[in-house]
Amino acid sequence: MAKFTQVLEEKFMPIAGKVAGQKHLQALRDGIILTMPLIIIGSIFLIIGFLPFKGYPEFMAGIFGDAWLTKLLYPVTATFDIMALIAGFGIAYRLAEHYKVDALNAGAISVSAFILATPYFTMFTPEGASEAIQVGGVLPIALLGSKGLFVAMILAMLSTELYRFIIQKNIVIKMPDGVPPSVSKSFIALFPAFIVILAVWLIRLLIENTSFETLHNVVGQLLQEPLGALGGSLIGALIAVFFVQLLWSTGLHGASIVGGVMGPIWLAATDANRVALTAGNELPNVVTQQFFDIFIYMGGSGATFTFALMMMFMAKSQHSKTLGRLAIGPGIFNINEPITFGAPIVANPLLIVPFILAPLALTITTYIGMSTGFAPKTAGVAVPWTTPPIIGGYLATGGNFRGALMQLINLAVSFAIYYPFFRMWDKQNYQVEQGAEK
Amino acid sequence: MNILLCCAAGMSTSLLVAKMETAAKAEGIEAKIWAVSANEVNNHLDAADVLLVGPQVRYLLPQLKKKGLEKGIPVDAINPVHYGMCNGAEVLKFARNLIGS
Repeated sequence: MAKFTQVLEEKFMPIAGKVAGQKHLQALRDGIILTMPLIIIGSIFLIIGFLPFKGYPEFMAGIFGDAWLTKLLYPVTATFDIMALIAGFGIAYRLAEHYKVDALNAGAISVSAFILATPYFTMFTPEGASEAIQVGGVLPIALLGSKGLFVAMILAMLSTELYRFIIQKNIVIKMPDGVPPSVSKSFIALFPAFIVILAVWLIRLLIENTSFETLHNVVGQLLQEPLGALGGSLIGALIAVFFVQLLWSTGLHGASIVGGVMGPIWLAATDANRVALTAGNELPNVVTQQFFDIFIYMGGSGATFTFALMMMFMAKSQHSKTLGRLAIGPGIFNINEPITFGAPIVANPLLIVPFILAPLALTITTYIGMSTGFAPKTAGVAVPWTTPPIIGGYLATGGNFRGALMQLINLAVSFAIYYPFFRMWDKQNYQVEQGAEK
Repeated sequence: MNILLCCAAGMSTSLLVAKMETAAKAEGIEAKIWAVSANEVNNHLDAADVLLVGPQVRYLLPQLKKKGLEKGIPVDAINPVHYGMCNGAEVLKFARNLIGS
């Protein structure tokens, strides 16, 4: 077993380091973070708009008028629906930082490239008409949100790569000495920006002559939809959870590494649910970011919340008790490094077993619960991962008590899985402590 | 003495910061200790005398060590056991040793 963890350490550490340190993935993860505060703020309005109480919509309409919901959702549109724009800027900015070229310029060019790839028309069905008509002179808001996320990601990276390549090759317009530095700086960006825009323009013209019509359709059909289907399946979720747990078993931040790859897929899935909710449709996705953050990783990666409770209330050994008291506070907010490193779970063949099994089991129970309709799916609300259990389940499902109930069931399941291992581990600790005192 | 800590989100290291501050106070050491997420480290390195890295992001160590070298400050990973038990006194000692050497 010691050999097993040694192999993990030797084989996984370099791979994990490469994945997490890979500059494009890092820029992707760090850039998307820029959308998070906005989306969380939008979520607050979303929750207020869709509280599932009887008579609530009528009550709100009585006070604020019939258009109350439309008006309440203005901030939701201004946060969620420009997700791709913000992410595109953020990713380009972070990537440019890596290359030590002007990040602000790279961000601006990336946004411009993204808009250039987006068609300036939308389909609109006028009241009373049966057929939609094409309306020009607009940016389709749907494509600036999660639907355009992958296009924005790709263009952010391509445009920044092109930008820094040209700058680093020093193919820039040089101003004579005496020109103010900020002026000459803007000229330095001019030529590479022109090349980027030219390239994206040519790509758009090219695609307009194919049956795809837009870059959004190409990326959607060839990348976003297949990836979404894969990452959104039960098998996909189980594989992701397994890798998160395996990495954590060696003491590496699994969620951060796996999330760097899977984050965009789950974010897009989250937002697809939000779009369906506001349109009054059936929610399409079971597997979203909140599916993991709120329903699986209760108490932190490994679903250690019940384990912390056991240490606190049921332990015989002093080590377990002390650790329980230390871990329960952060555990309420789903932070469990005290447990993973303090128990320790890391490189501990006994505790690694429930640490991997419990989240896998919860993935299955939650998936079954949500796909059969026993529990509500996550409502596209971006609840922060630090939201305590029970409250988290209630909020993530758009204020539904059955979301909290699903979490209670998951707590019971994780309790059952951790309990026998906790007993063995606690007994070992107790015997060591007794032996040490004699 | 300015001690910078980092982990994935800067959350669990901030637990340790509180314990280290208590330990510093008890030993009468003047220290500014703060925690940030790994992607914010760049913006904080100039103010730091030492960078301590949470064991869960130790895969970033080669990269962060390089950055530390550029700024001339020591960078190292925190002992996992001290990290897990939130042993502020031990981690403070570790930081002081790194600065000293």
